[in-house]
Amino acid sequence: MYPRKRREPVAFAIRVVLYALYGVPLLWIVLTSLKSSRDIFTSQATVFFTPTLEAYSTALADPALASSMRQSAIIAVGTTSLVLFCAVPAAYALARAKTRLVVGGLAVLVLLQMIPQTASLIPLYWLLNSTRLLDTNVGLILADSTLFLPWAILLMRPFFARIPISIEEASLLDGARTLRAFFAVALPLARNGVLVVTSVILLVSWGEFLYGVTFMLSPRNYPMSALIAQQSGLYGINWPGMMAFGVIAVIPVFILYIASYRLLRNGLTLGAVK
Amino acid sequence: MESTPNRRGRLAGLAAWGAVASLALGACAGGDTDVTASPPPGNDEPVTLTVWHYYSADGQAVLDDLAAPFTDRHPNVELEFVFIPVEQLTTRVVTAASAGTGPDVLLFGASGLYDMASSGAILPMDDWWSGYADQDQFSDGVIHRIDGDIYAVAAYVNLIGLWYNEDMLSDWGVDLPTTIPELEAVMDRAVAEGINGITLTGVPGVESQWQGFPWFTSHGFSYGDPQATAMEDTFTMLQDWVAKGYLSAEASTWDQHTSFQHFLAGSAPFSVNGNWQVGAASEVEFANSVAPLPLSANGGVLLGGELQNIGAFSEHPDLAREFVEMTFFSAEGQLLLLENFGTIPARGDAAASPLIGDNPILSGFVAIVQQQGRPSPSPEVPSASVNEVENLVGNYWSRAIARDGDPRGLAADLIAQLLPLLED
Amino acid sequence: MSGPSREKHAPPSLGARGQAHPVGSPLTGESLLGASRPLRRRQPQYTYRGDRRLALVIPAAALILALSIFPIIQLANMSLHDVTLATLTHDWDFVGLRKYQELFAHPDFWKILGNTLAFVVVVTALGLVGGFAAAVAVSPQKRGASFLLGLMVFLWAMPPVVVASIWKFLLSGDGLVNTILLNIGFSERVGFLFDKDLALWSVALVNAWAVIPFNALIFRAAILGIDPNLIEAAEMDGAGAWQRIRYVFIASVRPSTMVLTVLTVVYAFRSFDYIYIMTAGGPGTASTTLPYFAYVEALVNRDIAGGAATAILALLIVVIFAYVYVRDLRRGEPED
Repeated sequence: MYPRKRREPVAFAIRVVLYALYGVPLLWIVLTSLKSSRDIFTSQATVFFTPTLEAYSTALADPALASSMRQSAIIAVGTTSLVLFCAVPAAYALARAKTRLVVGGLAVLVLLQMIPQTASLIPLYWLLNSTRLLDTNVGLILADSTLFLPWAILLMRPFFARIPISIEEASLLDGARTLRAFFAVALPLARNGVLVVTSVILLVSWGEFLYGVTFMLSPRNYPMSALIAQQSGLYGINWPGMMAFGVIAVIPVFILYIASYRLLRNGLTLGAVK
Repeated sequence: MESTPNRRGRLAGLAAWGAVASLALGACAGGDTDVTASPPPGNDEPVTLTVWHYYSADGQAVLDDLAAPFTDRHPNVELEFVFIPVEQLTTRVVTAASAGTGPDVLLFGASGLYDMASSGAILPMDDWWSGYADQDQFSDGVIHRIDGDIYAVAAYVNLIGLWYNEDMLSDWGVDLPTTIPELEAVMDRAVAEGINGITLTGVPGVESQWQGFPWFTSHGFSYGDPQATAMEDTFTMLQDWVAKGYLSAEASTWDQHTSFQHFLAGSAPFSVNGNWQVGAASEVEFANSVAPLPLSANGGVLLGGELQNIGAFSEHPDLAREFVEMTFFSAEGQLLLLENFGTIPARGDAAASPLIGDNPILSGFVAIVQQQGRPSPSPEVPSASVNEVENLVGNYWSRAIARDGDPRGLAADLIAQLLPLLED
Repeated sequence: MSGPSREKHAPPSLGARGQAHPVGSPLTGESLLGASRPLRRRQPQYTYRGDRRLALVIPAAALILALSIFPIIQLANMSLHDVTLATLTHDWDFVGLRKYQELFAHPDFWKILGNTLAFVVVVTALGLVGGFAAAVAVSPQKRGASFLLGLMVFLWAMPPVVVASIWKFLLSGDGLVNTILLNIGFSERVGFLFDKDLALWSVALVNAWAVIPFNALIFRAAILGIDPNLIEAAEMDGAGAWQRIRYVFIASVRPSTMVLTVLTVVYAFRSFDYIYIMTAGGPGTASTTLPYFAYVEALVNRDIAGGAATAILALLIVVIFAYVYVRDLRRGEPED
């Protein structure tokens, strides 16, 4: 989309470094998942060992895999939807409204981010228990949404804030109502931000662990992340199993990320007004 | 604040453990056990029993096998095994109790006992126990009491010993060490061969208290009379080992599993590790076995194991008790756990099984129970402080290995923080 | 939001954009941000509209009020009482600020605080610089570049337990990194995770590594939003690569940078899972930070009140950052 392709030696160097920094750990995750438990420490720093798909065949044969995948999907989609429903309008309003409340609101959002998840466990457990939402998808979706909502608002807000007011004003002068200005003008213009935050929330809510194993009481309701945790238990850690589950767990949600990636476009104003 | 039970009423002692061991060594033949004495209740309404545990995914399959006799007898009962990560189990149980809920059956570590009892998540089981037909198969050492009330019983015993690589020792023509200087001589040989002398656990936390206990009691320490000099001597020994290359300073990040993996990878002739490694040890190509740690007469190893009780909020307490009796408390159940995890059965009849007698490693561990076994948690530590004491001591054990301070300073700091916790 | 209505608004919008982006002078940076100033005179009417927009906050506010406020109040409440796991189900004794006093009196408190600040500075600085560099490096839309971003996001999406365990392997005494170092001439193995002078930095670096993909994603979305005309104009003005990065890219990602700074600081300030898995805060307390300490207090030592007091203290420290953020964002954004 850029006007001219030119050589960028610095960017190239950065890319090489990044490939090393992220490629090697991923390679190691995959290699470890292909080892037998015995080879974990004998071949720690080498790529030479007899690979086995045992960890994957065990993982894929795990009867809990399908149900936990489905649970993770429900939780992730539910959480992402609820977060978006709340965060997109809030981010827009906090980017546009002209009142001191905005500053207070943003400060509260930052502070909410600071509450350690472990510290919310007990009070939220009480809350969900008293509303009979423990061990339900609705309860976990509510809890996860609360966790990610402040983050989503803070992240999306700059994408609305940077839209030149003049564009919206033009539509307002034209008689558009607040909601219409929001949907017809601001939302398309902030599309990249909303999309990225959506994919990010989808990824984190898919992988969320602590609330998942605390607010779900029956194992059939456990999300994928609990299955990964269970590779480490009383009498040892199944490293290949953990790595294999890690890879299997990320793949479906990663596909969604790729899909959203393709939707990102260059140019703030291009899509909206053409 | 309410008055809390401060002093552990545990009666356990070496004598009690000796009883387990002597039974196990075959002095007493076990009779066949019969837990299905009473007919099943004539109730076939569907019932769900939940069991909270921290067995890994592999262990889950064993739990299913373990439960088979019970589910055969009660086809109407659906068992729900709920995995909870070990570091969260106690918190989760107490949180549930604070909301007036909880599982039917609990499998947990001894460090969670006090919190669970105090929060009302588990109730005294004296009535159950006194009416339990097979209670005399269990030695007193596996019965966990607070203020004289029984709050849990351990179905099996876990402990640590000195694992050794037989091939290495015979290649080098050295004998099995029985004292610390002899151990150091062999480790010196190992370093000359270009490897470490020993692997052990130093990750901060309760595991390290468990690993350190034999060594600092061997140097004269006890929780009843906590002397800084004994700790200083222990830490001096550790740092000497690290300085000479006997022990990698990296052990300060190793849990027991990682420590053993390094031993199995051939990085040292010795490992301080547990009976539950017997399965992993049988998979490697070199010959290995286990011996008592080369301790002084004061030294002892802690006898742990997971505890069982039913949950205070169970809606089917009778079924829950029956489940525990037919699984963890039964001889068959304990032998199944032995086969899968190498855990030493608490029942005398099960411990007399040829599964132990015919296995040199397991009978080696039973011998250690007899020679060096000490109750865990240590009875001198007030119940309310057990968890904090074990973490504190474990953290200093870790610091000593990482050489995060000199032995004298570390020992002085540790004792200063330990003393208030050991007071009533 | 039907198509036709958009069409209808298009001409005035286009006109306004022309004013908003005086293409002739993009290199000042400020002109992009302060673009709407000439239009401010029309604001009375606009303010009225702005207030109405506040209604859009209602769903978010409702969710937060319903589920976030109670835990905060409980957290503060617990920090003023003697609550342990054993007494959670009992009546709690009010102890005032004793838990805070105990925290300050802890022999390692100041060391832990220092660790925390060092950790936050490293993670934030590297996380932002690395994230921005990565975003710029992948912004030319070549296939290879988007593959790289995909790789980074894949690892970011991995559960921390998996990624932290892999780094623990890579950095261990006989791990890959040490093997490489020995081969290029280091005389002995480096104790990345168990040397008391290195453990904190190792974990901080891995944490920065872990946050870079996320920051890169957000930066990239911000960069994509730059009007291509700006870049073109900058090139026609003869701006070199560095100047373009400085005046076009950095200037236009500034609002996102501010929020990412705050979020990265907060992330670093509450991160404990990598520490938990890689070093368990050790050796000793060498790699213990406030959030890890809060975790240890509440879940390992089961002193819920102690953990709550630590969390509240960390929260108060972050108030400072939050203040800087909200003060700063009132400048530098078009509406103000």
